[in-house]
Amino acid sequence: MGNMEFALNLLLAGVVIVFFVLILLIIIIMIYGKIVQTVQNRSKNKNTEKAVKKAEEPNTFTAVAAPKAAPAADGTVPGEVVAVIAAAVCSLYGDKPVRIKSVKRSRGSGSAWRNAGLFENTKPF
Amino acid sequence: MDIFNSLWESIRSIILESGLASLTWENYVMVCISFVLLFLAIKKQYEPLLLLPIAFGMLLVNVFPDIMASPTTEMLTEAQVLQRNLDPSSYTTTALNGVTYYNVTENGGLLYYLYQGVHLGIFPPLIFLGIGAMTDFGPLIANPKSFILGAAAQVGIFITFIGATLLGFAPNEAGSIAIIGGADGPTAIFVTSLLAPYLLGPIAVAAYSYMALVPIIQPPIMKLLTTKKERSIVMKQLRPVSKVEKILFPIIVVVLISLLLPDAAPLVGMLMLGNLFRESGVVSRISNTAQNELMNIVTIFLGVTVGATATGTVFLSAKTLGIILLGLIAFCMGTACGVLFGKIMCAATHGKVNPLIGSAGVSAVPMAARISQKVGQQENPANFLLMHAMGPNVAGVIGSAVAAGVLLSQIG
Repeated sequence: MGNMEFALNLLLAGVVIVFFVLILLIIIIMIYGKIVQTVQNRSKNKNTEKAVKKAEEPNTFTAVAAPKAAPAADGTVPGEVVAVIAAAVCSLYGDKPVRIKSVKRSRGSGSAWRNAGLFENTKPF
Repeated sequence: MDIFNSLWESIRSIILESGLASLTWENYVMVCISFVLLFLAIKKQYEPLLLLPIAFGMLLVNVFPDIMASPTTEMLTEAQVLQRNLDPSSYTTTALNGVTYYNVTENGGLLYYLYQGVHLGIFPPLIFLGIGAMTDFGPLIANPKSFILGAAAQVGIFITFIGATLLGFAPNEAGSIAIIGGADGPTAIFVTSLLAPYLLGPIAVAAYSYMALVPIIQPPIMKLLTTKKERSIVMKQLRPVSKVEKILFPIIVVVLISLLLPDAAPLVGMLMLGNLFRESGVVSRISNTAQNELMNIVTIFLGVTVGATATGTVFLSAKTLGIILLGLIAFCMGTACGVLFGKIMCAATHGKVNPLIGSAGVSAVPMAARISQKVGQQENPANFLLMHAMGPNVAGVIGSAVAAGVLLSQIG
């Protein structure tokens, strides 16, 4: 009878403790989830605002990039290619202002060793 | 003629010293059982990673029982030591009634030493380290209410405890049997090694057998307790979880559970350490080791040594039959409680939760979640419950560790 009483006590205590601990975890995870989401949304909004402001400023990348269209005008490098190169350079430097002075087509294919090196380094992409 | 006599004597002594003469009928029955388990592991692929080493450990210990023999110390006189061609200076001495005895120690069997990892409760937490490194708690963080289902599935453990007590098992044995309902092998082994180590063999075999049989045991219970309409419920897609949330999760869980239930700290601590290795992203080498090499090495040692505890005299008893039966009841109760709580959540959310994900609250990661997905797709082929079921599934791992902590604190 003693064992049975203990078993019933354990049933009640066990169920209550397991539910209590896990419900406490639910509450904590919900709260910190909300906090983390709010903080991240705020920082996202700030970044978006910064980006919008930068776009509006006269010395921004878009403004700087404008003269880059010039090399395209000589007919050797198409405007689309210049735009793609400008975007790649911009993404490489992140938030820093970038000025591309000229885009020139490379002369010939160069030596076989140079091509092999280029191929080796760009193969993964 | 003398030559024939000595040859006969040699053959006779070899036969008498061999296992053929010293093994009992129980050992031979266990060898047959190990063959069946090996067949299930290799041919049917039922949890082969664990069942195969367990079955082989069972086979080894029953054909060569001394492989699990503990070390012994014999007290011999100097004459006896010299008679055995031993060096007396290598042994410590004890003086009794004016006679000096040499303490001649004999090493134990190989598996005895490996078994210390189980006996001292080292291997199960190490397995949890690997599980933590392999587990993505994202679905649980995205939908923390899944914890309720992970908790509900543990109710079966405590109900089975009553059943085991009614059948006459002592509280420590009842606790070890009841934890089978958590469907978590390492937790069952951890609790049993601390509460009733002599039941380790039957309990481990029962726990892993039921985990392997999840696809057969769970679906009928799930279908019995749910309607066709409930099984067809399509759940809303989970929100993406940020890296910061995933990194904070193991730290918060380990602090909270270790403070509230210190007995669960070894299991939960290692689980969360493994998870932090994974989510931090700065120790990928350690994370990979925990997931692969360490996990595999510990699994080999754990499996073989747990199997080696299943000797004929221990395993072939009415108690084992009771354990296997109660283990099945615990497992079914856990599944049923999870589904029933799933139904309650379904009603509370006005049909937004599919109750089938409740059955995944019994750990058995990821098999139980896969079963929720499978049964759900039988009703609605366009329904994808897997990620939703992974929440209760990983919550079940934490829940069973908490339940283990409760059992250890109350009984241990």
